[in-house]
Amino acid sequence: MAYPNELIRNFSIIAHIDHGKSTLADRMMELTETVASRDMTEQMLDSMDIERERGITIKSSAVRMFYTHSDGKRYMFNLIDTPGHVDFNYEVSRALAACEGAVLVVDATQGIEAQTLANVYLAVDNGLEVVPVINKIDLPSAEPERTAQEIEDVIGIEAHSAPQISAKNGTNVADVLAAIVSIVPPPKGDPDAPLTALVFDCVYDNYKGALSYVRVFDGTVKEGMRIRSMATGHEFDVTEVGVFTPSPLPVDELTAGEVGYIAASIKSVAETKVGDTITLADRPAAKPLPGYKQANPMVFCGIYPADGAQYEDLRDALDKLKLNDASLSFEQETSSALGYGFRCGFLGLLHMEIIQERLEREFDLDLVTTAPSVIYKIKLTTGEEEMIDNPSKLPPVTEIELLEEPVVNATIMTPSEYVGSIMEICQERRGVFIDMNYIEESRVSIHYVLPLNEIIYDFFDQLKSRSRGYASFDYELKGYEKSDLVKLDFLLNGDPCDALSTIVHRDRAYAKGRAVAEKLCEVIPRQQFEIPVQAAIGGKIIARETVRAVRKDVLAKCYGGDITRKKKLLEKQKEGKKRMRQIGTVSLPSDAFMSVLRIN
Amino acid sequence: MAGIYLHIPFCVKKCDYCDFTSFAKSGEMEGYVDALLLEIGLTARTGEYPASFHTVFFGGGTPSLLSGEQMQRIMAALRQHFSIRENAECSMECNPGTATKESLAAYHTAGINRLSIGLQSSHDALLKGVGRIHTYEQFLKTLQWAREAGFSNINADVMHGLPEQTMEQYLETLKNVCDLNLQHISSYALTLEEHTPLYVRIKSGEARVPDEDYVADMQDAGIDYLESRGYHRYEISNFAREGCECRHNLTYWQNGEYLGLGLAAHSAVRQKVWTRYANTASLEEYLRLLRRGRLPKSEIIRLQSGEEMFESIMLGLRLTRGIDRAAFSARFGLDVVEAFPRAVESLRKRGWVVESEGFLALNRRGLDLQNEALGFFL
Repeated sequence: MAYPNELIRNFSIIAHIDHGKSTLADRMMELTETVASRDMTEQMLDSMDIERERGITIKSSAVRMFYTHSDGKRYMFNLIDTPGHVDFNYEVSRALAACEGAVLVVDATQGIEAQTLANVYLAVDNGLEVVPVINKIDLPSAEPERTAQEIEDVIGIEAHSAPQISAKNGTNVADVLAAIVSIVPPPKGDPDAPLTALVFDCVYDNYKGALSYVRVFDGTVKEGMRIRSMATGHEFDVTEVGVFTPSPLPVDELTAGEVGYIAASIKSVAETKVGDTITLADRPAAKPLPGYKQANPMVFCGIYPADGAQYEDLRDALDKLKLNDASLSFEQETSSALGYGFRCGFLGLLHMEIIQERLEREFDLDLVTTAPSVIYKIKLTTGEEEMIDNPSKLPPVTEIELLEEPVVNATIMTPSEYVGSIMEICQERRGVFIDMNYIEESRVSIHYVLPLNEIIYDFFDQLKSRSRGYASFDYELKGYEKSDLVKLDFLLNGDPCDALSTIVHRDRAYAKGRAVAEKLCEVIPRQQFEIPVQAAIGGKIIARETVRAVRKDVLAKCYGGDITRKKKLLEKQKEGKKRMRQIGTVSLPSDAFMSVLRIN
Repeated sequence: MAGIYLHIPFCVKKCDYCDFTSFAKSGEMEGYVDALLLEIGLTARTGEYPASFHTVFFGGGTPSLLSGEQMQRIMAALRQHFSIRENAECSMECNPGTATKESLAAYHTAGINRLSIGLQSSHDALLKGVGRIHTYEQFLKTLQWAREAGFSNINADVMHGLPEQTMEQYLETLKNVCDLNLQHISSYALTLEEHTPLYVRIKSGEARVPDEDYVADMQDAGIDYLESRGYHRYEISNFAREGCECRHNLTYWQNGEYLGLGLAAHSAVRQKVWTRYANTASLEEYLRLLRRGRLPKSEIIRLQSGEEMFESIMLGLRLTRGIDRAAFSARFGLDVVEAFPRAVESLRKRGWVVESEGFLALNRRGLDLQNEALGFFL
């Protein structure tokens, strides 16, 4: 029996990292007795280890709760948990599109952050009602009144009657549940109309195949129906529909207004795309729900097995991750320095780090990763256009008419005292200042246009460190702009190393060449001969450093109690040498390729 | 040749660079000596040890924290249970500031005939910088008492690469020690071991050790200086007047048999196969097991012939003389060059090896890069 729409509330929670989103979700589940407290784990909805450790949400998830309001009625709450990070902006927008409301959690000691604001705007753009909640009132430094004022000033919604809670201690969490009932509107929709269901995430289940997380807008879906993806035209037979408790629980049907999952013998999540509309094959909707787009990777890097023999294992691992992550792309590439590996595309830098970490942790692989790159647009002298995601593939200068690089619109929010140092960082990174607004007396929002390749590595860390952690950052792709870029190559003992090549702005090429050469000298272990490390642009050497030859490599002491230990040490040393990359005559440790980035 | 090693795991204070098994609680010495005596008796009953011993060595820790009477009891027990050769070399390590005139005399009376004194440097500021408890003056005093007690075979340990140490300071220390006319000098490069206070201070930037190349220069200059003073380098870090090499340590480098007694002590004995034992490194467990009449072994490694062979190479190539080819052939049934043709070829190609009829040795460059050289044999 379909649940009455007026008793359904679909919402998500918007919060900055560490502002308490997952803790609030945990408390809601406890309060509504969705999960018995003995089964509770911290951050219930973040099922991956990485999510729990980093305190972030990578995959969307959902949970159905039942809440008895003061009016005596029993409401069905569907909470959709979304990733908070800018890399997953599109996923967030689709998850928000599945809701009628959003709970905005703001840390009473911190105020609103740039990413939160970006997500609130996404919610407002999607027509969602926002339920403000002020968290962490138990902390001595909490300023709930000031935070409420900021929410009103910045977002323009009434916030002085917002629940003031401590998700950690459970204080006033019931007020949040009540506010959801009164502020978030019930879903509209016709259970008898042709099916339209919005896919807001997909996960791969070993037993059920790909599960599409859906919000049904119109119509009804149940087992045995033949459904069609309106994005791809593919058709599938529904094998199961269900809801999240938060573990998947099969139900008879999902009808207009409800949130749940569809299993349909779909082999790979690549076949059901986030933002897709699912309809019925024999009674299709006239048009899909709005907002679908193909999510394109923005950041690329080479991923190689540290041990060449693990190439097939790496491919299997990428295949498995891809099952669950349609936005990951990869294709085989070869490097003269690193052998066989894969060029992988990611939504952003966090996405890249997560995939690397999962490959290493969940699949126990040792990886060599090259510096991340963006996609450059090249107009050739022949008039043709090329897109390049790997610096080593850049054609010779003589064949290039002009180069374009991707740029982003960046928003940085910060206490006003850090404006100077933040503008400094942006200038250093070729930023073009757009404008600056005071959000309130002591907080500003700064806008810059920045080249994407200047922010894909450590920009965020720099921002944080030069603002004592207070600045927050959000960006969106603006487009491509012409730029004076050159390829910087590196030679080790005279041999070029393609995996170290990088594309930089001409004005910064010398400084960068020298800095990287110095850094390489630090990370390349001394060998039996002296190693010149050179930086070059188009064959011209612009910097040279030297790794001095090793003088002593010997254990000072070896007596009766040391023998077994020293033997193990030698074996380890030998093993380490085997794992090094041989570039011509030079042995290079695996992390040298990333260390190119770690320069100031 | 076979030796007995006894470990005395107590110190007045642990040095900042030390990662050996030792504790700053010498109040437990008496109970420890009782346990050691039990271990000697229990080990003798197993019968699994060499027929006779040419050397005895007390290491630590600080063996000179033993009273003369305790040393007397241990030596007596050794003689009671094992066959110790008439002319055995009986060494002990001794730290200035712990031994007294009386205790040194008592050690000598108990049968100790070789002393290894931990000096490290003749510069008090450098000693203090690594947490040593003594001064150069105390070292000289200890040496004088030792000689008065009758010791005529004495080693001093010195170090290079200490925090803030200069080449001049190192060479001055060597000169001072040579002028004292000792029989033996061990000169070690400071090795930074993880989890030691010094390691932490250096990683945090609080202390600074000399640059790697500077330390290499110190070592090279030190070798030249000691040779010029008549101390020949017979092992990577060991120098001696002719005939005064430490026989106990030679046993290790010739991959010979030794019995290790005491906390965390290691043994190597020929049973059906070449076997290494290690005692527990937990003081509590060591004492408890022995009180219950059980041997405190925590590890037994039975080596395959290939492993035994590699260890013979690893140890033998520490000696400047090198590997005794006849002894190697007798032990493994083939010549060392036949056993490792490719490794020896790699050494030849690099010009690191000295081959003679009797020995296969590394030259000075080969000794400098001994780890690399050993890699060929792995």
